Amino acid sequence: MTGSWLAYLRRAPLLLFVVLYTIATGGPFLWVALMSVRTTPEIFASPYAIPSRLHWDKFAEAWTSSHYGTYFWNSAIVVVTAVALVTVIGAMAAHCLARYRFRGRRLVRFLILSGMVLPPQLLILSLFQIMLDYRLYNTLTGLIIVYVATQLAMTVYILEGFFAQIPQDLFDAARMDGYSDFEIFWRITLPIGLAALFTTVVLNFIILWNEFLYAVVLLTEDTRRTLPLGIMHFMGGHQLDVGMIATGLMITILPVILIYAFFSETMIKGMTAGAVR
Amino acid sequence: MAVVTVDQLNKRYEGSPELAVKDVSFTVADGEFMVLLGPSGCGKSSVLRMIAGLEPITAGTISIDSRVMNRVPAKERDIAMVFQSYALYPHMDVYTNLAFGLRRRHVAKEEIDRRVRAVAAKLGLTPFLRRKPHALSGGQRQRVALGRAIVRNPKVFLFDEPLSNLDAALRVSTRNELIKQQHELGTTTIYVTHDQVEAMTMGDRMCIMNKGQVVQVGRPLDVYRHPADTFVARFLGNPPMNLLKGTLETAGERARLRLGSAAVALSGWTPSALRTGDVIVGIRPEDLAETPPPGLAGKAVPLPVRVVTIEPLGAETLLLLLLEGSAEELIARVGRDTALTNGAQAMLTLDPATIHLFDPATTKAIPRG
Repeated sequence: MTGSWLAYLRRAPLLLFVVLYTIATGGPFLWVALMSVRTTPEIFASPYAIPSRLHWDKFAEAWTSSHYGTYFWNSAIVVVTAVALVTVIGAMAAHCLARYRFRGRRLVRFLILSGMVLPPQLLILSLFQIMLDYRLYNTLTGLIIVYVATQLAMTVYILEGFFAQIPQDLFDAARMDGYSDFEIFWRITLPIGLAALFTTVVLNFIILWNEFLYAVVLLTEDTRRTLPLGIMHFMGGHQLDVGMIATGLMITILPVILIYAFFSETMIKGMTAGAVR
Repeated sequence: MAVVTVDQLNKRYEGSPELAVKDVSFTVADGEFMVLLGPSGCGKSSVLRMIAGLEPITAGTISIDSRVMNRVPAKERDIAMVFQSYALYPHMDVYTNLAFGLRRRHVAKEEIDRRVRAVAAKLGLTPFLRRKPHALSGGQRQRVALGRAIVRNPKVFLFDEPLSNLDAALRVSTRNELIKQQHELGTTTIYVTHDQVEAMTMGDRMCIMNKGQVVQVGRPLDVYRHPADTFVARFLGNPPMNLLKGTLETAGERARLRLGSAAVALSGWTPSALRTGDVIVGIRPEDLAETPPPGLAGKAVPLPVRVVTIEPLGAETLLLLLLEGSAEELIARVGRDTALTNGAQAMLTLDPATIHLFDPATTKAIPRG
């Protein structure tokens, strides 16, 4: 009996940490979720109360009259396109860097990966000017291009590390089997690196879905706003529609939560597992 | 029909001042099983990869059926290769692994199916066609790798140490299986290994390499019996050939070898080829005997030794000996029922016809005749 007590005692600090961590991260989320089905007057009356009546209609209202529908689709178009592009381009670049020994390879890798070091605040002014010059300012296309460029470094970094673990013999075997360099990328690297590819897709999706800085600088027209900007829209200088912000937040968070709920395990596997077991 | 000719082949890897492969030349006849044998890092795998087209050639030519292949890409050389790691595609099942090369060559679907199933049946892989490589044992993976080469029906097979990842028992059975398959198919084969047993048992001929160069090419037993230099002498045979310091004394038509305290009258060498002075004497462990073999009694030379260690291996016994008069170590392989004991003085016998002589300056063999 004393043995099992000791075992409990030893695990107590860890347990305490997990409980505190869960409260710290899950608490605010739960609070926003509760507020999303309450009206602003109700919230102001008692911020932490359990909802007396569930106002599901607030979601419909947010979607239509508060333009969250438009913001949602803008976000979806920008993020899905950007993630698709950055995945394809990043995977090709990572394959080349991991597989071929060409002149200037180290320089190319340095240039791509240095993108991770530069803070966005440093880039934003010049990006703004470039977007203006190319008439991409205030367009979804412009934002997509910026997103692809900013996420490329991390994508290449993750994928190259994974692709480099794939044994060279597999590529040699495929070459002997008669496959071209592109076919080898398509039929060997991509399927074997699927777990890593998946990791970058999920990571990029979450990061870009929540991205605020580039969007707020490069998009001004209301019909082109993405979700994070839409939420800010409700924080006026004089009034604060807390209830609607909470509803909007839930609409924004939901896709991320769903993706994470379904794919977190695959993602972790992709980040930690070796290429070929 | 495929004759592979390698002529004056050189390879220098980027960033390395040394040649990894230096002036390597040999010809593999149609249907022949050629083994490239050598210690690791001797350049044998580089030669194989250049033949496969996986590695650019620094200098020299590789031709198949007298067509120069230097600039022909790997996929157009009609060569199949089995890798040491097997290199099975982990995301494809056995069937797809076997069919992968044929699909690229646009073979008709029914034909692919027929050939894949035939090869699978031949190699006992039929029950595993839908399994992924990670669900197979080492031996099964090895057979899939072999099947992938066979199914393409190429002009030339290349093997890069295909058995070295298998355990000892499986290695023996797979070796026999490989020999059987190669005999049935009659495909020209180049096989790289550092294992002398594989080289001795599998090859029609072997090409021994050391430090990027070819040392000797020949039939396994010929090479074993007539090693070209001390490297080959030591590399082939287990335990390796004993190399001892000896002194030659020549007088007219007679040549005498001093070995420790023993003196041996040499026969078989042209006296003019021998020079008085130091010489390296090679004696195979199995050429030393406790009692002179019947029919040799008169010619056998007595060799006084002291026994240091006795290693009974069951079928035979290895004796670690010190040569009297020079204190050099040598190993003898004798029958299992040896009467010798540790520390004993003994008189072993040696047939002078089995002695090898090497020039101490060049380490090259001094040929008989």
